[in-house]
Amino acid sequence: MICPNCKSDMSDKRKRCERCGTDLTLYRKILRASNLYYNNGLARAKVRDLSGAIIALRNSLELNKTNINARNLMGLIYFEMGETVAALSEWVISKHFKPEDNDADEYINMVQSNPTKLDSLNQAIKRYNTALNFAKQGSGDLAIIQLKKVTALNPRFIRAFHLLSLLLMKEGEDEKAKRYLIRAGKIDVSNTTTLQYMRELEKPESLAKDGEGNLEASQSKTSSIMPISSYREDKPNILVFVNLVIGVIIGLALFAILIVPSITKNRVKVDNQEYIDYSAGLALQEEKDETINSLEEDKAQLEKEVEQLHSEIDSFVIVQDKSALYDPLFEATGKYMIELSKPARDRDFTAIADILASVDESQYESEASVKLLSQLRTASYPIVAKIHYNIGHDLYNDAKYDEAIIDLEKAMTFDPTDVDAIYFMARSYHRLEDFENAAVYYSIVIKDYPDSNRAGDAKDYLNQIQE
Amino acid sequence: MINFDEEIAKFKPSLEIDQAEEVIYNNDMTDISDILKELLKGNKENKLND
Repeated sequence: MICPNCKSDMSDKRKRCERCGTDLTLYRKILRASNLYYNNGLARAKVRDLSGAIIALRNSLELNKTNINARNLMGLIYFEMGETVAALSEWVISKHFKPEDNDADEYINMVQSNPTKLDSLNQAIKRYNTALNFAKQGSGDLAIIQLKKVTALNPRFIRAFHLLSLLLMKEGEDEKAKRYLIRAGKIDVSNTTTLQYMRELEKPESLAKDGEGNLEASQSKTSSIMPISSYREDKPNILVFVNLVIGVIIGLALFAILIVPSITKNRVKVDNQEYIDYSAGLALQEEKDETINSLEEDKAQLEKEVEQLHSEIDSFVIVQDKSALYDPLFEATGKYMIELSKPARDRDFTAIADILASVDESQYESEASVKLLSQLRTASYPIVAKIHYNIGHDLYNDAKYDEAIIDLEKAMTFDPTDVDAIYFMARSYHRLEDFENAAVYYSIVIKDYPDSNRAGDAKDYLNQIQE
Repeated sequence: MINFDEEIAKFKPSLEIDQAEEVIYNNDMTDISDILKELLKGNKENKLND
């Protein structure tokens, strides 16, 4: 026990303080009485008699202000009733008396650790005060709106329930008022204000009025007593079955009117969709067929082109090596230069003309080579043609017609305009009795050289052959 | 029958959290023990004066 005078700790059995000599008997009785009140308050709090608990705990604290349990419980009860500030005050004072190992720490932290909740509680208090002002000013409807918000923010604010119930009662909305009072009663079962308002609401109206309402009162008292009707045997009610049949018919009719068209419509829609799909499929198939035909035509054309290209490739003559192509020209040129260096009577262009005859000038790309070839031919061909003509003519005169034809043919090759060579070709074939070839050459003489001195003879001989 | 105006007048504004400090400081913390102590002290002084 702590001595209330000198605060020294001592045994509980001591009747007097050893240090200051204060008589502790009375103090001990006071502390015991405080604890009794605390126990009483705790018992009431356990059965939610919060108003009674507060009275007991207040007595306990008036006897011993340092009764920590009583003060902490008082704070909890205030908090339960929505009196947040009162609760916090009790816990703070409790902590002042016992800073260490105090449950109040936990309670304060519980409130302070949730600022949103604390703000919500504070908002509820502010709105309650505003509503109270409205109510005192006669604006009951505004006050009711505010108080409904208060009860939403702090569902345990008993004072707000009381004020809201009172205002609703004033407005004549007794049922709503009753509901709020029931909620308040669930928090604090023995609150005198709650009980007073409930009693007011439960008081029968007829009793509140004058004696004229006696009959109504008696009726209301007995309203729960129902008269017992006399027994009647139930008759089979045909109307029930008729109604049932009519109901079924109406149901079927509604089904036929409302649902069947919808089903039919859906079916038609599905069929149409299938038809559209089928048509689309057909169109697609036709398109594919056209594409296939077109591709087959393209393929045939391409194969044709490929064949054509192959044939073109086959027809290509492999171009000889360019050096080999020009070799005859260079050889002929070399020989020609050699022959030119000789005296005129010793020159022989026969070999040169043979070489030049073998050259295909169409394969020459440069103009210079073509020009050179032409010059060499111009220089050599007439001379060589004359030589072959003379040889062929001599052979003709020697009746060696076969050999004569060879040289005369060469003479014609190097000089196609030599009408004498053509004439004696015809004569040689004529002598050999190859009249067909003879006629060909006679015809050339007659046709191409009609003014020559050979034309008349050629005509006569041709007439002979044709006769 | 409740007189609503009188009943409403009984309601007092609730203390806001900002006012908690003020409530704590103004709290009357005197208990029976304090009164008893004062009484005993007075008796003692009276005896000494006698």
